[in-house]
Amino acid sequence: MNAPSQILLEAAHVSRKYGTETILDDVSLTVRAGETLTIVGPSGSGKTTILALLALLLQPTSGQILVAGRDAASLSDAERSRLRNIFYGFIFQTAQLVGSLSVLDNVLLPALLAGQAREKRMVARELLEQLGLTARAAFLPHQLSLGQKRRVALARALLLRPAVILADEPTNDLDARRAAQIADFLLGLPAAGYALVLVTHDTQLAERAGNRWHIHEGKVTPPARLPATRPSGREELVLNIFENELS
Amino acid sequence: MLRLISNSLLCRRWHSLATLVGVAFGVGLLLAVFLLYRGFEQGLERGRQRLGADLLVVPSNATVDPDKALFAGSPLNVYMDRKVVDKAMRIPGVRRVDAQFFTQSFRLECCSVGAETRLIGVESQMIRRLAEMSPLGRETLEPDEVIVGSELLGGASRPGSLIELLGDIFRLGYRLEPTGTALDYSILMPMNSAYDLAAKSEPLKAVWKDAGDPHQLVSALLVEVDDSQHINEVGRALEDLGSLKIIRAADTFQRLKRLMNAFVFVLAAAGVLTAVGGIAYLLGHFSSVAWDRKGEWALYRALGATKPGMVQLVVGEAVALALSGAVVGLPLGYALYRLAFTRLAAQNAFPFVAPGNGLLAAAAVGALALYSLIGFLSAAVPALRVAQLEPALTMAQGDVD
Repeated sequence: MNAPSQILLEAAHVSRKYGTETILDDVSLTVRAGETLTIVGPSGSGKTTILALLALLLQPTSGQILVAGRDAASLSDAERSRLRNIFYGFIFQTAQLVGSLSVLDNVLLPALLAGQAREKRMVARELLEQLGLTARAAFLPHQLSLGQKRRVALARALLLRPAVILADEPTNDLDARRAAQIADFLLGLPAAGYALVLVTHDTQLAERAGNRWHIHEGKVTPPARLPATRPSGREELVLNIFENELS
Repeated sequence: MLRLISNSLLCRRWHSLATLVGVAFGVGLLLAVFLLYRGFEQGLERGRQRLGADLLVVPSNATVDPDKALFAGSPLNVYMDRKVVDKAMRIPGVRRVDAQFFTQSFRLECCSVGAETRLIGVESQMIRRLAEMSPLGRETLEPDEVIVGSELLGGASRPGSLIELLGDIFRLGYRLEPTGTALDYSILMPMNSAYDLAAKSEPLKAVWKDAGDPHQLVSALLVEVDDSQHINEVGRALEDLGSLKIIRAADTFQRLKRLMNAFVFVLAAAGVLTAVGGIAYLLGHFSSVAWDRKGEWALYRALGATKPGMVQLVVGEAVALALSGAVVGLPLGYALYRLAFTRLAAQNAFPFVAPGNGLLAAAAVGALALYSLIGFLSAAVPALRVAQLEPALTMAQGDVD
């Protein structure tokens, strides 16, 4: 039997308020390597906020976010930025491509920001090939369809081989065929060692993803837990991030 | 970072181009103003040094404007009896008297300067003083040698080149450095050579019929006094010699300086306004950019850009744009300066010395540095605002493309 995989992310009694309004209330959850965590709930229930907290884009009003066991509150802005660059891969509700950059450069954006564009060029081309976008590498975002833009965003999220992929409504606004393509790709990622945190109100996608946590009015309800499968080799990579990349 | 900056500027090419042109005009104007100012300043100073006299004495019937007498290069045929030199020397407080004899050529044979050229016969002490002020200068001249002003004959002529003046052949002794004064457009020769040349010149025969033997005439005296406190007394004593007009060099310089100061004030005001306008323009531009592109900046933050990295990105874009504009503005400014210089030289209304290559290079580097600083300052506040953007903003926004 496989041993439980490494906890990459943990939210411990996390709350978030905007003024007097409580958006998230005492949320606790963990994200393990090779695991999919799906958060489902209606619009305005706090799904995106929990994703932003896990991604270190927001700070909790109370509670802790632990990244590979380390309290995110103790990290400097530079350390948090570095983690966002190498530890997380983001897929936002909209593709969020930069209009002045070509498709290839959009994929390379995390590397451009980290000053590693040259080293990652081949990886970017391989990802574009996997996602059927090789012929579009030199295009600008406004020349792409919605589905193509989403695929570019997906390639960008995977460029630096992050430990955790955070996907916010990744199939939003896509037709059924395109949504299925994106879902297939995303749901295959945990098998390759990535942790996937998926926020969606798409019930079909949520059912396929499994490990569904429900969120309603800021309260999160966990599913009945099943033993996680252990992927090969990913934990070591993740554990080394703090030791190597942030040192 | 450089890639993001260049991509951003190239993608918004019309926007970037408009900003670049704005900066280029600002830099051009500033450079031209600076070069003109320095040209005037140097011209005035060098004119004062070259004149080396406190008083200029000309015949009272000379309809001469003091400024033109000191700075203009137009031929001036006025004469007085040579005995006035000795009389002037005997006045208490006079240290030195340089006599000059003006005549003119009607055509300069080797290279045309457009019309008549002033020929000045000068005495040996003046030749020695001129030699001290020119790297090629020589303390003595042979009777058939001439010193040529910097603006005559073109740059190709060499010492020893032959020049025909009023039918006689002369050799070029050397060329003077630019002075910004009448000397730049004059030919100087030993006094006796000038007398002989004038005496046998057919076109000037009518002049000598009225004025007498040119060998007994002088056109102007440059008088230096022992003590500048006594200029007025010496001036009055010279006036008492009769039929003389006394021009105080200091007064003329002061008046020109006042005139120039007014002109420089306008130029300086234009320069300052240009620089301030540049800052305001770029500040507005980058503030607007910071606001319009906050979605893009927030995305960069979300994907791992640090706060200092964001400042670098925004400031880098501003400096790159300002610097590119400045690089384009430099030739524009130089062209504007040359245009103004050519027009002023044609009028010959001001002493003006064209700035040397060293000053041109320093001005160019200075303009680049100034506009880099302006670009930096203009973008600093917007950049700090961008750095403070919440990266979470990117979760709530639509596409940034």
